[in-house]
Amino acid sequence: MRADAALARPVAQRAAGPARKRLPIALLAAAFAAYLAWSVSVRQAALFVVGAGLGVALAGARFGFTTGWRTLVVARDPRGVVGQVVLLALASAASMPLLAHFPELAAALGPPSVSLVVGAFVFGLTMQIADGCGSGTLYKAGLGVPLNAAILPLFALGSFAGTLHLDRWLALGALEPVGLVDRFGAGGALAVTFAGLALALAAAWAWTRRAPRVAWLDRRWMAGAVALAVFATLNLVIAGQPWGVVYGFGLWGAKVATAAGAFDPAASWFWSQPGNAAILQQSVLLDVTSITNVGILAGALWIAAGSATSGRGLTGAQWAIGLAAGFLMGYSSRLAFGCNVGAMVSGITTGSLHGWLWVPLAFAGTVVGLRVRRRFGFDPR
Amino acid sequence: MTGRALRVAFWALLAAFLAWDHARAPRIDLRFEPPLLAAGSGRQSLGGHCALPK
Repeated sequence: MRADAALARPVAQRAAGPARKRLPIALLAAAFAAYLAWSVSVRQAALFVVGAGLGVALAGARFGFTTGWRTLVVARDPRGVVGQVVLLALASAASMPLLAHFPELAAALGPPSVSLVVGAFVFGLTMQIADGCGSGTLYKAGLGVPLNAAILPLFALGSFAGTLHLDRWLALGALEPVGLVDRFGAGGALAVTFAGLALALAAAWAWTRRAPRVAWLDRRWMAGAVALAVFATLNLVIAGQPWGVVYGFGLWGAKVATAAGAFDPAASWFWSQPGNAAILQQSVLLDVTSITNVGILAGALWIAAGSATSGRGLTGAQWAIGLAAGFLMGYSSRLAFGCNVGAMVSGITTGSLHGWLWVPLAFAGTVVGLRVRRRFGFDPR
Repeated sequence: MTGRALRVAFWALLAAFLAWDHARAPRIDLRFEPPLLAAGSGRQSLGGHCALPK
């Protein structure tokens, strides 16, 4: 009866509901952006807006890297992965020429290493249990999903712990980072990247061809892919570096640990590096990754204000394993030189070889993670 | 803890962290404000990134 009454209301009146609920969030975000512009820098204010755009795109389109991989493996549904390939293609087509033209812009160049192999596998495994990668944890926390909101501090703690051990992991074996734009120029790098993406699509086609036919192009995934490609490119142009998530989390953990007297940055290989030491000292509002992370949370909150979001109830065991997975995601993403965003999206679209190594390793971890997920009953039958 | 309480606690914690850190950090000197766009500015980004080993 109530549903009938709601349907009977004029469309304009129904549309006004979410808009009214979203207005206070929009005003708060605008006030925060104005504060950043006045007291920090116009660049940081712009990056907050870019972050909010990323959050709206991620949450509005429910653009989940984790979900896309899961539906491909479990349901042989390629739509999420096709959306991710479109995102990678569009962002590569925009980013690589920019990198070749503007020497100020930096690629997301991680070193191929033992650390990357272990980190990417563990990250792919744990992101399925935690039901969210780096960006997924952020936008779902912003949407108000309880597990992801609770995971975020543990993700930060894990990422910080990863920074403390990174030198020892790198000592196990690492090569110099390989940048495709530096080696082959923008055109060559794009050709290699598109060939790799075509290979990924061919693998998805081979895996799904015996499944019931579904349309490969889904409007929701495509809209998310286009919006994310635009905002990721803006991030590169404004910040001078590609979109990242994990660095900010590690920084937050390091700041809290330092203030608590539990950690001496000078004794840490990672945090005693001049760049990291300076970032640790200065306001978190000056950090590029932190401010886009906050923007993503705000964008997702704005989406949540206008739509119903409910997290499924979890058992105690599911909570425990989910939180442990969150900590491991933070630790492993630091070892892997990024999550789906820093390593996969930013690595591949700026021509880093480590992004291409990251994907199959994380995907192998995902296959194992899906079994663990099933074992602990995360997927209702 | 209910979902709503968790959400409120989450945002309160985040806001408190940002405010606390900004208050304890050295004052920002706006004379050294970076240009709006890094591209074309001639200045390399000094920001940290998860892909960088250090």
